[in-house]
Amino acid sequence: MESVFDDFKEGQRLGSGPYLAAALTPVASPRCPSRLQSFYYFSNAAHISQDLRHSLFHIGGVKIPKQEQTWWTDVFTAYWKAVGEIVRIEERSSRASWAKVFDAWKEVANILNRAYSSSIFQAWTIPCLYVVGKYLRVFAIKADTELSSQDDVGFDRFQEDVTAEFDKSAKLEEAARVINRMFTLCLTDRAPIDESRKWGIYNTINLLFKTYFKLNSVGLSKSLLRALDASSADLPDLESYPKSHIVTFKYYVGVIHFLDENYTEAEEHLTYAWKLCHRNAMRNKELILMYLVPCHIVTTHTLPSKHLLAQFPRLEKLFRPLCNCIRKGDLVGFDAAMSAGEEEFVKRRIYLPLERGRDIALRNLFRKVFIAGGFEEPKEGQPPIRRTRIPVGEFAAALRIGTHADAKSRVDIDEVECLLSNLIYKGLMKGYIARERGMVVLSKGGAFPGTGV
Amino acid sequence: MSTGMPPWRSGSAVVTANPKVAGHAAPAYIPVQARRSLATPTPSKSAVSQPPSVPSQPSTTEASARKRVEWPAPVRMYVQRCFAPENQVASVSRQEMEAKLKSVITAAAERDELHTTNWDVLPLPQVMVQNERNRILASPNVSAWGAASTASPRKVDTAANEASKKRKSTEYHGDASGAPPWRQTNSQVPFEDRISYSPTDKRQRIDLKNPSKSKANLEMRKKRFEDPRARYGSSPSSRGESPTPSAANQGPVVGRCQDLEKNYFRLTSAPNPDTVRPLPVLMKTLDLLKKKWKKDNNYGYICDQFKSLRQDLTVQHIRNEFTVSVYEIHARIALEKGDLGEYNQCQTQLRALYARQLGGHPTEFKAYRILYFIHTRNWTAMNDALADLTAADKRDLAVKHALDVRSALALGNYHRFFQLYLDTPNMGAYLMDMFVDRERLSALAVICKAYKPDVKIRFITEELGFESDEQSARFVLDHTSEEFLQEKDGTVRLLTGAKASQLLEAAKSSAHRIVDIKGQI
Repeated sequence: MESVFDDFKEGQRLGSGPYLAAALTPVASPRCPSRLQSFYYFSNAAHISQDLRHSLFHIGGVKIPKQEQTWWTDVFTAYWKAVGEIVRIEERSSRASWAKVFDAWKEVANILNRAYSSSIFQAWTIPCLYVVGKYLRVFAIKADTELSSQDDVGFDRFQEDVTAEFDKSAKLEEAARVINRMFTLCLTDRAPIDESRKWGIYNTINLLFKTYFKLNSVGLSKSLLRALDASSADLPDLESYPKSHIVTFKYYVGVIHFLDENYTEAEEHLTYAWKLCHRNAMRNKELILMYLVPCHIVTTHTLPSKHLLAQFPRLEKLFRPLCNCIRKGDLVGFDAAMSAGEEEFVKRRIYLPLERGRDIALRNLFRKVFIAGGFEEPKEGQPPIRRTRIPVGEFAAALRIGTHADAKSRVDIDEVECLLSNLIYKGLMKGYIARERGMVVLSKGGAFPGTGV
Repeated sequence: MSTGMPPWRSGSAVVTANPKVAGHAAPAYIPVQARRSLATPTPSKSAVSQPPSVPSQPSTTEASARKRVEWPAPVRMYVQRCFAPENQVASVSRQEMEAKLKSVITAAAERDELHTTNWDVLPLPQVMVQNERNRILASPNVSAWGAASTASPRKVDTAANEASKKRKSTEYHGDASGAPPWRQTNSQVPFEDRISYSPTDKRQRIDLKNPSKSKANLEMRKKRFEDPRARYGSSPSSRGESPTPSAANQGPVVGRCQDLEKNYFRLTSAPNPDTVRPLPVLMKTLDLLKKKWKKDNNYGYICDQFKSLRQDLTVQHIRNEFTVSVYEIHARIALEKGDLGEYNQCQTQLRALYARQLGGHPTEFKAYRILYFIHTRNWTAMNDALADLTAADKRDLAVKHALDVRSALALGNYHRFFQLYLDTPNMGAYLMDMFVDRERLSALAVICKAYKPDVKIRFITEELGFESDEQSARFVLDHTSEEFLQEKDGTVRLLTGAKASQLLEAAKSSAHRIVDIKGQI
């Protein structure tokens, strides 16, 4: 029982937001496995408010203004109710439901929001907002899952219900609105920066991004960025914020650009996140690479090194087959790897950029043609020059090998030319097609830029 | 003249210029009293100014009565007793008492009983008022209560009303000036004084030490009595916390209208069943519209009719195979006419309807949806559309075609793209028509950069899916200039190279930009 109050008092005594937030964390701690139960059973609905006031402020006396005491009591009263619902879930009570947990927790969030909007709580207590927002999202997802599993049972009977399909993530949408309020509360605080809630913007916006991504409404994230951009003049430098906030923020901004196919900007933000990310935060690094690798393939036509992928088994499994095929110029293998991973790629939203890797595979295949072509007749006293005039037919033959075409299937010369012209246009090959003569004339110096020939 | 008039009146009548006013005793008198009561709102002040008003009236009349009518001594004694502090009754206000006193003396004077009345035993006016009240309370005839009620309690009532009105409009931000009486009472008698703590409780001490804090606490308490939803449910500046769809509360409408045709009118209030057509009528409507569309091909009319048809389905919550077919037909017609706005509305609805397995042609429209996102270049939505596809969907001819189109464009494979364009299933060609020119420009830009020194116009025609060399030459001329088309060895050729490529690049990016804007609608 002591744990919740200890955390609160310690937080108030030290002026430490994280300690304070720990008091509002609705999970058992390793130190105190029955933390929630003992907190819930220490009082009852009739006396909770008085008991809380007593335990929070009059034992071990933290000097807090009266008005603030009242608000904290309200927050913890709501918290106590929510904990009660969680305890019921843990005890497998028949009345337990995640929807109830969510509703009770939303009340905690709303009171907290109100306390901040009336500027009752000081800015250093803002981590309370983080933890309450975080669990609001968690509980909303659980409540939605619970509700949709109930719907499945009676699907046929309630098929006529108009709102059924839109309610699939109703709780999460509610949560998004509350979290959005948290973000606005932080963004619009006009207090001097030292005691401003503006320090909370990145944490709350990250939470909101996360929620919007889950809701499949990435578009809403862009309006958040616009809001942030509009008040960027008043904000401290990114460097002065906690790195953990910034890494996540940059990651999401990168992904938002990524989804818009703005790969250059995406790469910039993702690289920032990658560099700043804690070196042992493997999961976060993996998430960043999930988008940074395809980005890199598109923008610089380079593949991730074996060493890099070896650290991340999941990415290795996802990208390795594809990378191998690209490297070898194996078009059939590439297509197979794409369709094998399609479901996962689409889910991760990386299918579209990865598909562009085919250009590089094609370039590598055509590069082999160039190398196989050997050198021109050596001239006296000059370094050997590769054969730069290559019949389109040779590329067509390569394509037959690359696509495992059998003897009967026809290779369309026009299509080969089209592929060649695209590589030239994109700068993967240097040279031109002389259509009349059916020849490709490649540059004498660096026909395949960046590949050493 | 003095008869039938109060004695003091008859004296003052000489002073008063207007005999009419003087003759009408009561109205002339009341304003004097009313003004006095306004001038001295606090009870302490009126207690200090003991002799004014009624006593002053008798005193002025006393002066004139010395000349004319002598006030009988018992009357004067009686009036004095009325104002004696020891005779005051708490429940009867001074004004009430004065009013009663006046009426008693006036009545006596009018009846000429000033001398006959036994003033010494007559009850004091305040006692009379009290007795009257008791009588009214005892009797069931409550209507007399209104007459008995006096100005001051009514004033409190209206103040309370005003205050309660204020509270509603301003929510919990009640400022001090608008504080209703019960709050003022609270601040006079602090909340803390009215609750009892155990003597060992520290709280009491703290509260007494900090009177200002307890005042702040009172504010909080005050707020707690407000509408609980206003406090926690939603903050004032945020939008509605959980907007309940009004349609869901009202339930579906059941139409009664029998007309087959109806103009579309955007609803601004709840639908009227008299103007809504029930399902059997709507089915006939659809048949009629199909015939009319074939016969007249009047899109303005058809679109309007379909919108009203869709509206009638929506307000009646009709979601079945018929609904699907209405949306499908409207979507196809909109496609044919290039009305992407209407098409998109239908497409969005259809996606929801297909999710309910109501029949129709889901794969056909899933294919359109992919093509539509190619046109609007909405890659995020495209990814969602891809995620929606099942393995069975991907085997469908139309879906496969749309996927191939997407893939060909993603890789810049114009050769394949235009082959697919010439062989589009269903009505997908209408959608592809919207972005085919854009892709032609892209392809031309590539060709101009990759080929040297020229290409035959025939090649352009074949590669870029033009119907004739004339058409492709026209297209090239529209976006570049004449100098790039030349006749050589009997064939028209496009001179490729940096200059042409530059022009085409500019044309291409402007074509793509325009669609960007369109895509946002």
